[in-house]
Amino acid sequence: MLGSLFRNPLRRPPRQDAFDATLLGSAAIALPAPAGITIPAPCAAVLVDRGGRSRRLAAGSRIAALEGETAWCVHPGPYTCDLVPFAGAPEIGLRVSFAVDASDPRATHQRFDLFLASEAGSAVDLAGFGALAQTALQRELAQGNLELPPCTTLEEWNTFRSGFNQLMYTRFGVTVDDCVPVDLGATHDYPALLEARLAAQAVPVTAAASVEPVAAMPAEAFVPACEDARALRRLFLELPCLMCAVRMAVLPADQGRFRQHQELLRRLDLVSLSVGTMPALELAAPGQPLAPEEQLRRARHSRRAAAALDEAWALLARMKVAGEGPLDVLFDEADRIVANLETETGARRVTHVHEEVTA
Amino acid sequence: MTAPVFEASCRSILPDGSMMTITATRRPRAGRADVKCSVPGAPAQAERMQQVVRLARHTEPRYDSRDQVVLSADRAFDPAARDWELAAVLADRIVRGVLQAARPMVANGWSDAWHLGRIDGRALVNVPDGVLAGGPDGIPHLGALTGQPDPGAATASARAWFPLHSGGDHDDLGWVEVSVRPLASAMDTDDDAISLPDLDALRQGQVRAVLAGARHFDGRGQGQWKTTVRFGETGFSGDSYGLALVMADRIARGREFMTRGRVIATGTSSAWHAGKVETVDALAPKCALILREAGPGDRILLPKAWESALPQGMREALRARGASIACVERIGII
Repeated sequence: MLGSLFRNPLRRPPRQDAFDATLLGSAAIALPAPAGITIPAPCAAVLVDRGGRSRRLAAGSRIAALEGETAWCVHPGPYTCDLVPFAGAPEIGLRVSFAVDASDPRATHQRFDLFLASEAGSAVDLAGFGALAQTALQRELAQGNLELPPCTTLEEWNTFRSGFNQLMYTRFGVTVDDCVPVDLGATHDYPALLEARLAAQAVPVTAAASVEPVAAMPAEAFVPACEDARALRRLFLELPCLMCAVRMAVLPADQGRFRQHQELLRRLDLVSLSVGTMPALELAAPGQPLAPEEQLRRARHSRRAAAALDEAWALLARMKVAGEGPLDVLFDEADRIVANLETETGARRVTHVHEEVTA
Repeated sequence: MTAPVFEASCRSILPDGSMMTITATRRPRAGRADVKCSVPGAPAQAERMQQVVRLARHTEPRYDSRDQVVLSADRAFDPAARDWELAAVLADRIVRGVLQAARPMVANGWSDAWHLGRIDGRALVNVPDGVLAGGPDGIPHLGALTGQPDPGAATASARAWFPLHSGGDHDDLGWVEVSVRPLASAMDTDDDAISLPDLDALRQGQVRAVLAGARHFDGRGQGQWKTTVRFGETGFSGDSYGLALVMADRIARGREFMTRGRVIATGTSSAWHAGKVETVDALAPKCALILREAGPGDRILLPKAWESALPQGMREALRARGASIACVERIGII
C-alpha cells in the first residue's frame, strides 16, 4: 500500500525542461533540478528519495541523483512577502523577510527539506509559499495562540515576533529576519474587494430561502483521490519527525509529566502506525470498490487529519517558546490535537458510518 | 483558562409566545457521535438540530473531538418554526466554552447558511428587551456577538464597547457599530455619506467630526465609504465613546489588527486627525465596570494617562481571564 503512495500517478510530474535558475531567489524558492547540472552559486540542492529521506549538496557540485531520488535546487534567499494576518482586515499586513535556513548541523532532519519532500509537488514559488505561511499565521491568531490585538504595544509586538519566528522556523524551516506592520491599502483595496463580493452576491439569493440548506453548501474543487493522497503523504512523512521533535522539545520535570509525555508519544506512534497501514481510498475490501460518496468522506477525514498535523507543528513551536515555563495548557492542547488525529485517522479507515441522532 | 462548563442552556421564544429551553450537556466522547440531539416526539427536528449545530461549528477556528455535546429541547415544536436554531447554536457554544455568557440568554434566529456563520433572519416580530435577535437588523452573523466583521458579507461592520456613563454599579457597557460599504455601489450617492439613525443633531455633529478626523489621520477612507453608525443604547453621556467609535470604524474598514473577543475602549481626543488619544474622567468606577464585564479574548483600550493609576491587580486579573489591556497614546500601528 505504501509503495503505491509514492508511485502515485496523481502527483504532478516535475517539469524537467522548465529549470530556469534566474527565477530562483526572486519568484521561486525551490525548483526541480534535472540530474547532471552544476548547482549555481548561492543555491544548494536537496535530494529526496522515495521514503522521504533527504540529503543536501552544496553549491558547485553536480547533481548526481540516486535511483528514485528527486532533486530540487533551493535558493536561500532572502525573500520578502506580504502577509495579511486577519482575513477581515485586508488593508493591514505584515511585511516579512525570511531566508531558507542553512543546514543545521544539530538537527537530523532539516525542516525545510521535509517541507519539500512532503508538501512541494514540484516547484515552490514565493507566492504559494506566502499563502501557506499566511494560512498558518491566520490560524494561530484565530485560535489565540498568537496575539496581535488593536493598538498592539511594543511589548506585545515582541511577544508576537518571538512566537511568529518560532512558528515559521518550526513549521517551514525558514528564519524570519525582519517583520514590520505595513499599510496594504494600495494593493489590497478593501472597497474594491467589497464591490467584488457584492457583484458575486448579485446572483439571486432570495430563492435560496426555500431550498434545503445543504444545497447552499459551496461546491469546492475537491478531488478526493488527490486530496487524500496528499494528506496521507504528509502524515506519513511528517509524523515521525514531529514525534522526534516533541520528544526533544520537552524535558519532563517530574514523574507525572514524564508519564504524560510518554503517553502522548505512544498515542502519536499509534496514529503514525495507523497512517502507515491505511487502506486504499477506493476499496471497501480487497477487490470490492467503495461508493464515491464514502470515498469523499474518507478524503475529508484525511484532510482534517492533515489540518491537525499543521496544528501540531504550531503547538511544537509554542512548546519551544515556552521552554521551562508552564506547560499545562500546552499539554492539554497536545491532548486535543492527538485526539483529533486519532479520530480522523480512525474515521478514514472505516468504510461507512452509522449515524445516530438522539442520545 | 476559564473553568469548564458541563451544562448550559439557551432559551428561545416560540411562535405561540411560550418559552422553550434547549439544554446542552458535555461529556467525554468515548467513541460516540460528536453531537446528539433530542426533541420530544419529533425525531426529524432533532436531526435538523444536529445538522444546524454541526454546520455552525465550521466557523470555529478550533476543533476538539474529545467531547460529546448532547442537546435536548424541553418541548416539541411546530416543524415550520425555525427560530430555535440560534438558541441551539449558542447553547452548543456556551457548553464548550467557545462563547462566554454573562447572563442567561434568550435568542431567536434562523439561517440557511450556518456554515458561514450567517444569521438570515427571525420570525419573532416584537423583540422584547434582552432577547438576542438574529437577522440583518440585529445580529447578522455569529461573529457579531463579539463585534467581528463578517468575512463573507459585502457590508463590513464592526462593533466596539464602551462604558455608557461613568462606571459605577448601575452602569453597563454599550456598543457602537460602524457599517461601511463602498460608496460607488450606493444607489443614492447624493445622500450624506455618513448616516446616523436615532441620534440627536448635536451628537450627529460630534460623531461626524470624530470620524472625519480619524479618517484624515488614516490617509484613506475619505470619499470611499458609505457609513452607518448605530448605538446599542443612545442614552449615554460624555464623549468618552470616541475611542470606541474610532476603533470600530478602523476595524470595519479593515485597517486595524483584530482580537478574538470584544474591543472595550474609553477615551477621547481633541485631535483625532493627529491620532492622539486623550484622557477621560472616572478612572476607578470605569475600571471596576470593565473588570466586571471583560471576558476571554477581549481587548481593553484606555488612555495613556491612566497607566500609572490603574487599580492594583487589574492587569493580572484581566490576564487571568484571557483579556488584554493597553494604555494608548495614539491610535494606529505601534
